[in-house]
Amino acid sequence: MFRYQSLEDCPLDEDEDAFQTLGEEDEDIDQFNDDTFGAGAIDDDWQEAHERLAELEDKPATARELEDGAVSDEMELLGHHEENLAERLSKLVIENELEDPAIMQAVQTQPPMQQPGGLNSSIWDGSAVLRRFRGPLLTQILCPKPVHIRAPMQQRYPSPYGERMSPNQLCNVPNSSLLGHPFPPSVTPVFTHLQRAQLLGGAQAGRMSPSQFARVSGLVCSPLTSMNPKLLQGRVGQMMPPASRFRAFFGAPPPPAPPPSQQQHPLCPGSHLQNLRPHPQVFRPDTTHLHPQHRRLLHQRQQQNRTQHRSLNGSAGDRAGHRSSHHEQLRKDPYANLMLQREKDWVSKIQMMQLQSTDPYLDDFYYQNYFQKLEKVSAAEEMHGDGPKKERTKLITPQVAKLEHAYKPVQFEGSLGKLTVSSVNNPRKMIDAVVTSRSEDDETKEKQVRDKRRQTLVTIEKTYSLLLDVEDYERRYLLSLEGERPALMEERKQKICDMYDNLRGKTPGQERPSDDHFVQIMCIRKGKRMVARILPFLSTEQAADILMATARNLPFLIKKDAQDEVLLCLLRPFSLVLYHLPSGTVTSLLQQLANLPQSATVPAPANLHLAAVLQNKFGLSLLYLVLSRGEELQNSSAAVELMQDNQWTELMSMATRELLRIPEAALAKPVSTPSNLLSLFSRYVDQQKLNVLETKLQLVQGIR
Amino acid sequence: MNYMPGTASLIQDIDKKHLVLLRDGRTLIGYLRSIDQFANLVLHQTVERIHVGKKYGDIPRGIFVVRGENVVLLGEIDLEKESDTPLQQVSIEEILEEQRVEQQAKQESEKLKVQALKERGLSIPRADTLDEY
Repeated sequence: MFRYQSLEDCPLDEDEDAFQTLGEEDEDIDQFNDDTFGAGAIDDDWQEAHERLAELEDKPATARELEDGAVSDEMELLGHHEENLAERLSKLVIENELEDPAIMQAVQTQPPMQQPGGLNSSIWDGSAVLRRFRGPLLTQILCPKPVHIRAPMQQRYPSPYGERMSPNQLCNVPNSSLLGHPFPPSVTPVFTHLQRAQLLGGAQAGRMSPSQFARVSGLVCSPLTSMNPKLLQGRVGQMMPPASRFRAFFGAPPPPAPPPSQQQHPLCPGSHLQNLRPHPQVFRPDTTHLHPQHRRLLHQRQQQNRTQHRSLNGSAGDRAGHRSSHHEQLRKDPYANLMLQREKDWVSKIQMMQLQSTDPYLDDFYYQNYFQKLEKVSAAEEMHGDGPKKERTKLITPQVAKLEHAYKPVQFEGSLGKLTVSSVNNPRKMIDAVVTSRSEDDETKEKQVRDKRRQTLVTIEKTYSLLLDVEDYERRYLLSLEGERPALMEERKQKICDMYDNLRGKTPGQERPSDDHFVQIMCIRKGKRMVARILPFLSTEQAADILMATARNLPFLIKKDAQDEVLLCLLRPFSLVLYHLPSGTVTSLLQQLANLPQSATVPAPANLHLAAVLQNKFGLSLLYLVLSRGEELQNSSAAVELMQDNQWTELMSMATRELLRIPEAALAKPVSTPSNLLSLFSRYVDQQKLNVLETKLQLVQGIR
Repeated sequence: MNYMPGTASLIQDIDKKHLVLLRDGRTLIGYLRSIDQFANLVLHQTVERIHVGKKYGDIPRGIFVVRGENVVLLGEIDLEKESDTPLQQVSIEEILEEQRVEQQAKQESEKLKVQALKERGLSIPRADTLDEY
């Protein structure tokens, strides 16, 4: 068998001066010969290999024990380099993350003979000491590519670059050190010395044993690294099918059929973990891929599997009965576990990586909300009942600190120009699109209208995002530190002011001369809903202002709302605002609703404004609310002035007159009829009219 | 949902018999051997099942590698309940014949429909041929 060191000395550089090679070639050949057959080689191995081969066919069991002896030797040899490798790989892991994963391939297809420093430094820095040919493979292994199983693996010099080396593929390479278990030499007896040498050469050239890979990357494949002969047996049994093919290829007699060896160890999921001793895991601090909680959970799961198997093998548990049939099937299924546990973990790892986020509330809003709700419900249940606590396991995703990656495209020393590689992280500009602004001259009326509408829409959107921010402040407040809170409050206030300005339209002057801006917003469905959401945040004056504006323009808004019927969403916030309003404001509000100029005393024969209001559900409901509020104020002790207010009386009489005038059929159905309206009307109208009003408006409960 | 609550993963489905419905309408039944992050599937001992009416026929296909984006849905087959079906299994030739007949009938009715609509001056735009089955 080749000594590890000797292989490293093999000059594989191809850029040697051609003229010098002749003489050197002879020397090389001599050295090769030496290593193969002469002093450099360790003879006993292939003899032992033959022995093992012979024994393998007769007694599979005993062969294993012999292998174990040889195993330790080889592991020692590999051991030295493992540690070195481990260190270098640790650097690689960190630096790898900086690479653009989308163009990982590009780097790996590099001509292998580049100087280490020449290639992108982040990959090669840590591995300057590493052999060049190993480099690309390492990155591949650390970020493993999709698996493809190669059935009858052709014997060839494996090229370490540009190909997708996967753990599984390497498993199928005869005599590869990556045969799915950490003890490749155990399977070596199968092959001749030369073949092994070739393959090992390939292995040295760029592959790593899973032990190196697992130990270094700190993934949860570390159970595989524990030294356990039984694991070996299970694996060897598993490996028999491909191995048999290889044998056929090499013309050797096929080994005993797989089932016998497999019967010994049921290949159920996790069976290869069955007899593992608990192995203290080396948690690498810089792997952010698997949260420690996950590792723990994985361990638990493995333990569970183990206990299940114990119960299966030993005493009969309740589950064992059911599970045994399941395992029976798997036992009979020779193709089970083609996908190794490591590969499953790899897929899970990718899935988990997708869940990493810096701000889960932002990235995964619905999931977070859903689980918060669930937790609230279950917490509430627990409070009420003393029922058994349902352990609802929650997925804990690692919180990764956001790293600003300055993406640097791949560069080569000594090359002219840059690589034209574009990826998801580094998109190339394909088209030069120039934005041409429209000239103002030839704008028609329609265009202006359209533009105005667009402006309104843009305003709505901006205000909406402000609103969402403001609504979020409560949550942020709870999460923030004490010192940050005043700043947060300031921000919030500012945003609220901005929202209000947006709603009313920023005016240069003191007064807000036109409701136009506001009305435009209110004509749009989204605008109405947004106003309803904004109202709770506004101050009383601001909210009152909004109310006034709405009341003033109500007929127009009603007309515009005919299709949408969204105005009703405003009722609730409006009513909330009303309860804070002083009497004077309420009066003005009623005035607006009735559309009377402040000083008008002559009542029109028919108040169209009010009529329109009354005939609309929202309008009528709003009117009722206002009236109800007025009544409340009248009843309260501090509102004596309302009684004395002439305006109020006038307005009331006008309102009642209108209510009486409009036929019942035309009258809208209000959302709710406040109970104090009856007493309100009784103040202003005589009994007869009161009765009429009563029946018309169904003021008395029970008439429905 | 093994040790990752709140997530969905195919890992627990490995080595079990599944029924996979593809975007082109084919139904595959096989043992799920391997997956990856794109839900590409490796199906083993796959059988393509063609259903026509109450009959079905199985065409053995061997190993299938299905690209994840072409899968509409897949579900585990309960081996105990698998034989408990009102459907009748027939030979491949028969089912293919039945399928051909069914397709023909469908085409003819479609043709008549288009004809009728044309007479009335209407036309239905053809669906995108890609997902037609």
